[in-house]
Amino acid sequence: MIRAIGFCLLALPAMAQEVPRFVEETASAGLTHSYTGGWEHMVGGGVAVFDCNGDDKPEVFMAGGTGPAGFWRNDSATGGALTLTPIDAGLGLTAVTGAYPIDIDSDGITDLAILRVGEDVLMRGLGDCRFTRANEEWGFDGGDAWSTAFAAIWEAGLAFPTLAFGTYIDRTQEAFPWGNCTDNSLHRPDGRRYGAAIPLTPSFCTLSLLFTDWNASGSKSLRVSNDREYYKGGQEQMWHLPSGEPPRLYTEAEGWKRLRIWGMGIASTDLDADGYPEFFLTSMADHKLQTLVAPAPGTLPDYTDVAWAKGVTAHRPFMGDDPRPSTGWHAQFADVNNDARADLFVAKGNVWEMPDFAAADPNNLLLQGPDGVFVEAADRAGVASTLTARGAAVVDLNADGALDLLVVNRNAPAQVWRNVGPVGNWLRVALSQPGANPAGVGAWVEVRVGDHLQRHEVTVGGGHAGGIWGALHFGLGAANAAELRVIWPDGSVSDWQTAPANQAVTIRP
Amino acid sequence: MHRRRVLGLGAAAVAVAFLPRRALAASDPGAVLTTWYRLVLELVRHTATYSPPVASRAFAYLGVAAWEAVASDRGDTVSLAGQLAGLPPLPACDPGLTYNPAAILNATLSRAVAAFFGNTGPTGQRAMQAMARQMGKGLTGLPADVLARSEALGHAIADHIIAWSLTDGGAVVENMGFPMDYTLTDGPAHWVPTSLIRQQQTPLLPGWANNRPFAMPAGNSCALPPPPAYSEEVGSAFHAEAMEVYTTSARLTEDQKTIARFWSDDPMLSPTPPGHWVDIVLQISDRDGLDALRSADILARLGVAMADAFIGCWEAKFAHDLLRPVTYIHRVIDPNWEPLLITPPFPEYPSGHSTLSGAAATVLTASLGADFAFDDATHEADGLAARPFPSFWAAAQEAAISRLYGGIHFRAAVERGLDQGACIGAHAVRLRTLV
Repeated sequence: MIRAIGFCLLALPAMAQEVPRFVEETASAGLTHSYTGGWEHMVGGGVAVFDCNGDDKPEVFMAGGTGPAGFWRNDSATGGALTLTPIDAGLGLTAVTGAYPIDIDSDGITDLAILRVGEDVLMRGLGDCRFTRANEEWGFDGGDAWSTAFAAIWEAGLAFPTLAFGTYIDRTQEAFPWGNCTDNSLHRPDGRRYGAAIPLTPSFCTLSLLFTDWNASGSKSLRVSNDREYYKGGQEQMWHLPSGEPPRLYTEAEGWKRLRIWGMGIASTDLDADGYPEFFLTSMADHKLQTLVAPAPGTLPDYTDVAWAKGVTAHRPFMGDDPRPSTGWHAQFADVNNDARADLFVAKGNVWEMPDFAAADPNNLLLQGPDGVFVEAADRAGVASTLTARGAAVVDLNADGALDLLVVNRNAPAQVWRNVGPVGNWLRVALSQPGANPAGVGAWVEVRVGDHLQRHEVTVGGGHAGGIWGALHFGLGAANAAELRVIWPDGSVSDWQTAPANQAVTIRP
Repeated sequence: MHRRRVLGLGAAAVAVAFLPRRALAASDPGAVLTTWYRLVLELVRHTATYSPPVASRAFAYLGVAAWEAVASDRGDTVSLAGQLAGLPPLPACDPGLTYNPAAILNATLSRAVAAFFGNTGPTGQRAMQAMARQMGKGLTGLPADVLARSEALGHAIADHIIAWSLTDGGAVVENMGFPMDYTLTDGPAHWVPTSLIRQQQTPLLPGWANNRPFAMPAGNSCALPPPPAYSEEVGSAFHAEAMEVYTTSARLTEDQKTIARFWSDDPMLSPTPPGHWVDIVLQISDRDGLDALRSADILARLGVAMADAFIGCWEAKFAHDLLRPVTYIHRVIDPNWEPLLITPPFPEYPSGHSTLSGAAATVLTASLGADFAFDDATHEADGLAARPFPSFWAAAQEAAISRLYGGIHFRAAVERGLDQGACIGAHAVRLRTLV
């Protein structure tokens, strides 16, 4: 419980849409890494960000493809220049495509789910940024697929999270891969070990997975974004996840509409604070921003695409002289100028010398304005790299309340930028509950200033092959305090509480 | 008279695991032909530039290349040079030397496919290389001089066709065929964008009718009368056509929905409409064991007819520049109506699939017969069951009406599209291939 304080909370004070300046500190920070490889590493290249030494400055794990994965301790000074120190944490696996941090055994120490071309590996955190393989200890069968996506959720009453792994092409079919997507799998726990994997058939070459309470029902569903380049008869998917029962697909009869894109990544947040999340789907050429047609209790999963109306089609390079369509990968909603509105970062990069698509394809940093329309600012912010991006993380690396940026590039150097502002006030919100799922995965955190409400869902998954574990970041604009509450995974709702700006708070039930 | 000795490979055969429909022996040029074509169907599906008109063009050039390769070492065939616009005489074999027909054809197709699909993605590139390697292994039993000579001839034929293709106006397709700038025609009757996709705010390939035709004398050789005059008046012919689309859409049977989806043939999600008809030929070739000569003859005529169909159809589309049903119905009848299929991003009249299918049916009927029954399993891998047809025209008529069921075309575009296709296809039927 945070302490109540006596700030007067008025309407969100007006704040001009600032474009923060990002300074690239790749070299000075000590980040030397590339995601390398050929066909089997044309996708992937994720980055996992999490604090494993308790200093509130998250460490960084990057997939390496044919090279070893990299791990860096974050030695940045608070508010200062970024410093990433490579250390041997026992994570230097090869054939890694991505990773997601998560506290699987709820011991308060972050673990890591590592996706690979080959066996996936669960690494149990030992504390102080040391890890050990836990597949055998936790009864986890890592398989032998080309893994490219991950998501996790705690189902009611279970000690361990249910894990979903997304896979890509049957790599034995290199000469004729089309129509040869391998099955995704669901790993449900039995006590503190995992049972046999449940195939999520049919699967359609998945590049992003996300458990989400899309209809505010309190029940999670699994959204699946698939690459139409390789499937036959496929489409975007969503699975019901009924407790104790086999997962089953949403059908057309339930309102699910067929959408077939080059699905690469999912970003989600409740942009209009109506209680129902929007979903941004990266693809090639036009990207999608889905919002429910009829957001109300009992709604069907009937989405309309508002990407154009909201300015986030991101369909071709916004700068330079390459007119060809873009290729999007990781996407993340994050408030980079702390104006209390979620912005959107999209990592861009050609798949692999595809001449129909842009070669010099700058990343997007789309700033949301007061009218809900996003405006491109990557060039003005200094993050419009045209290297071949894949994974990324928008995260506060130096604990100054301004979100920084990490990008993994394929067969090119990874990059890191420090956000030097200007930015507004902020709040960092962590959850802590007793027992399983201490970090409250599946909860919704609501922050409001006056009548301006922000809502973020606590998720593990989405993006492209990597994610962030830790507190949620909220911009507050010029407000010096905010109210916040939590809708916990069990449906209980905390009281509104007030917190002063520019600090990290932990909310407990 | 067949004067030259043809050297076969005997037992030298190669199994290509990814092509289950017909066992491949590299000594069998028929299998070489269908094997490469199977890969081409996938490349069409997975190469972003390959909208239906672009695909039709590739099928024409590949068909002609295959025909010239198959016919190159025979004495009973006629080259298409001089019959197709701008095609000069092709490289010829030396009548005193020995060649292998499978090696000639494999060399022709491997080079031509690589050229026409040079902008496919990394997976397509790997697949083409893997195909070339596997086919090459099957030819290693040939005497080195025969193999080298046959491959040289095959490459020369391919190079000749590729060079010919570069002058037709359709060789360069930018931004997947959507121009960066385009001025819409004023007036309520004319096409406006119907998609929320930013790239599709200009029409696909508005200049495609300027491409050099193949067998058809000119792009407007099979011009159509105008569609019913635009009117928003209830009872007018145009309003009645729109009401037919609207009411049909509201009462679609499951069979009609199936038909609409079966012939949807969306680019990048299928081999496209021309690829659908090529697939039908490959299925028939497998089922009936057609030899290379027969298959190549049919595929060349079909490719030419379909490419001309898109040129002629596009000439009419941009001459009439008619709006799509979704635009009219939203404006006049029901602002909330949605068609079953995604409306293609270009003018409505005539229906491209109808023109194409009319041309295809004309060619295939002439080649294989009027009452030629077949099952069409093109989309089985996509979960759509095979459909039986008593004739090619029955299939073409179903393909055409599917566009009305799908809510993307009016009846005039469907019916006159078939008429236009029949007219265009007749030019390909008149090509001489045998002495």
